[in-house]
Amino acid sequence: MIAVWTAKIVSTVCRLSGRQGVTLAGRIALKIDPRILADLSSMVREKIFVVCGTNGKTTTNNLLCSAIESEGKKLVCNHTGSNMLAGVAAAFVLAAGNNGKLDADYACIEIDEASTLRIFPHFKPDYMVLTNLFRDQLDRYGEIDITMDILDRAMKMASEMTVIVNGDDALSVYLAMKSGNPYRTYGISEQVFKEQGSEQNGHEIREGRFCKNCGARLEYEFYHYSQLGKYHCPNCEFTRPEIDFDASHIDMSNGLKFEVEGRRIEADYRGFYNIYNILAAYSAARTAGLSLENFDDVLRKFNPQNGRMEQFVIDGTQVVLNLAKNPAGFNQNISAVMEDEKPKDVIIVINDNAQDGTDISWLWDVDFDRFAQESIRSITVSGIRCQDMRLRMKYVDIPSELIADVKSAIEARIKDGCGNLYVLVNYTALFSTRNILVGMQN
Amino acid sequence: MKITIGHLYPDLLNLYGDRGNIQCMKKRCEWRGIEAEVREFQLTDPINFANLDIVLLGGGSDREQMLVCEKLRMIQKDFRDYVEDNGVVIAVCGGYQLLGHYYDTNNGRIEGLSLVDLYTEQGSPRLISNIVIENELFESPIVGFENHGGRTYIGDNRPLGKVKFGYGNNGSDGAEGVLYKNIVGTYLHGPLLPKNPQVCDYLIRNALERKYGSEELAPLDDSQELEANRYIVERFC
Repeated sequence: MIAVWTAKIVSTVCRLSGRQGVTLAGRIALKIDPRILADLSSMVREKIFVVCGTNGKTTTNNLLCSAIESEGKKLVCNHTGSNMLAGVAAAFVLAAGNNGKLDADYACIEIDEASTLRIFPHFKPDYMVLTNLFRDQLDRYGEIDITMDILDRAMKMASEMTVIVNGDDALSVYLAMKSGNPYRTYGISEQVFKEQGSEQNGHEIREGRFCKNCGARLEYEFYHYSQLGKYHCPNCEFTRPEIDFDASHIDMSNGLKFEVEGRRIEADYRGFYNIYNILAAYSAARTAGLSLENFDDVLRKFNPQNGRMEQFVIDGTQVVLNLAKNPAGFNQNISAVMEDEKPKDVIIVINDNAQDGTDISWLWDVDFDRFAQESIRSITVSGIRCQDMRLRMKYVDIPSELIADVKSAIEARIKDGCGNLYVLVNYTALFSTRNILVGMQN
Repeated sequence: MKITIGHLYPDLLNLYGDRGNIQCMKKRCEWRGIEAEVREFQLTDPINFANLDIVLLGGGSDREQMLVCEKLRMIQKDFRDYVEDNGVVIAVCGGYQLLGHYYDTNNGRIEGLSLVDLYTEQGSPRLISNIVIENELFESPIVGFENHGGRTYIGDNRPLGKVKFGYGNNGSDGAEGVLYKNIVGTYLHGPLLPKNPQVCDYLIRNALERKYGSEELAPLDDSQELEANRYIVERFC
């Protein structure tokens, strides 16, 4: 109980002094009572979900929370995206009452893949959503093989946990199959992008081209993006599994529309990748037996307010802020920007702080040449590594303006831009850029 | 004039940013009116080194490197003849390690191509850092990012540069990379070439010289490249 109180006080003090105190609060709580996470999580009355995978964790987890809340359930969630041990502990501690008890039906927790081995000794989840595996911050996490090895061990630690896996990602599917855990799949079995050699996904970096089971080169009927698609191994029995939650009749002409389990799903979002996020949250909740009668309503009200396609209006300019922190994510971001056919200005903010990964070579794995379109009125590069970003654009023959200070860059484009501005940022630039935009909007 | 760049096994050896090295060589040729063709080779493709002017061998994970090295043994002789005939090679990270005799890892030995008299041993921890090196061959320092578990020892060979910041070949002898005939081997990615245009031009010039005799490269406006280079030097040195 002392741990709960102390953590709450620390968190409040930090919030008052303007700092994100969540992680610190969690760390202190664990220090005072190392069993606090195990104890509090055991008070969850029904099920515990965790969400893992390179991209889409936060959006998927927050959607899942909203979906479960709409069923009238109480839950614990690490909304802020603090997804390592201390952040997860903090989510439970801060949700607990002053009596040290937790009053929750469900927990929905996103977990950094590398932290699963540290968190699972405290509790065994009932469900794990595995969204996808892409190259991400090689200087922090190492190669994908290392991440896969960690997740494999984590799944084996929680052998009764049901894995809800993206069936279109051969790497994630291989892990789920190999673990021996029960699993359910979601995916998109119809071909959405007709011209496979086209700019949409012609030269994208693709992970795992070779069968993890036997080493042969996987064959694809089609790709959705990166290595996601319809695949099979020509040499062994490894193949895309039967899809339990299959999105069909995909329509991206005005927002996102698709069907799953005979239901029509509509969301006013942009970006093909958001179909996967919605589908993942839907599949997880359905696997746990929730009816999701109000899911349409959940999607309509869902406003993440965390820099994932977040919209602002500043002096008549429509501003969209979006996080893009690795090649697969950035390529999907570019697709989302290009889905908007109106003229637009783009600001790209690249930092290289520890949480971003200090290695920014990945910029060269992003298909920035797709910005060479009439509708792109200007590109502005900003942030700590703006020089590298300017060079990246130069080598696809796209001129850009360098304004290192993010606020000045935004002010310049609001003043002289075309009224439709996209700000694409990597991780540590997200919070500061969002604060700038919130400040300017008011 | 035309240069043909062979990209070896990009499906397997394509860690962060290798594409940037290809793009940089291609553009810096094209901006000078030199035609540049890039040929990608998969593991099953035959390689005729006589048709190539620059060969790029990139980095991959240990597992992927193991797959590649089995294949490389089959083309070892052709590759060696190309190198001894002053063929230009740029080998980065895992590709650099493969140039040598072997790479001893905790999971066994990866046999190399023995194109250069060097060898690599796995060490701990991984050497991960921004890096700045110097060589009087080049006006500006060479900057990049390194991330490798292997410690490479190049014996009496010339290094690509002396370490000013970062770790280099093995974190102890102050050397980074290797220069042998027209081979450049290095742990620097970032990718290497865009922020180090003088290294890129060194490769292109050597390739042109081998193919057409002595060649002067037309100057390019490198102010953006050199500004990005200077930013790293000033931040870390």
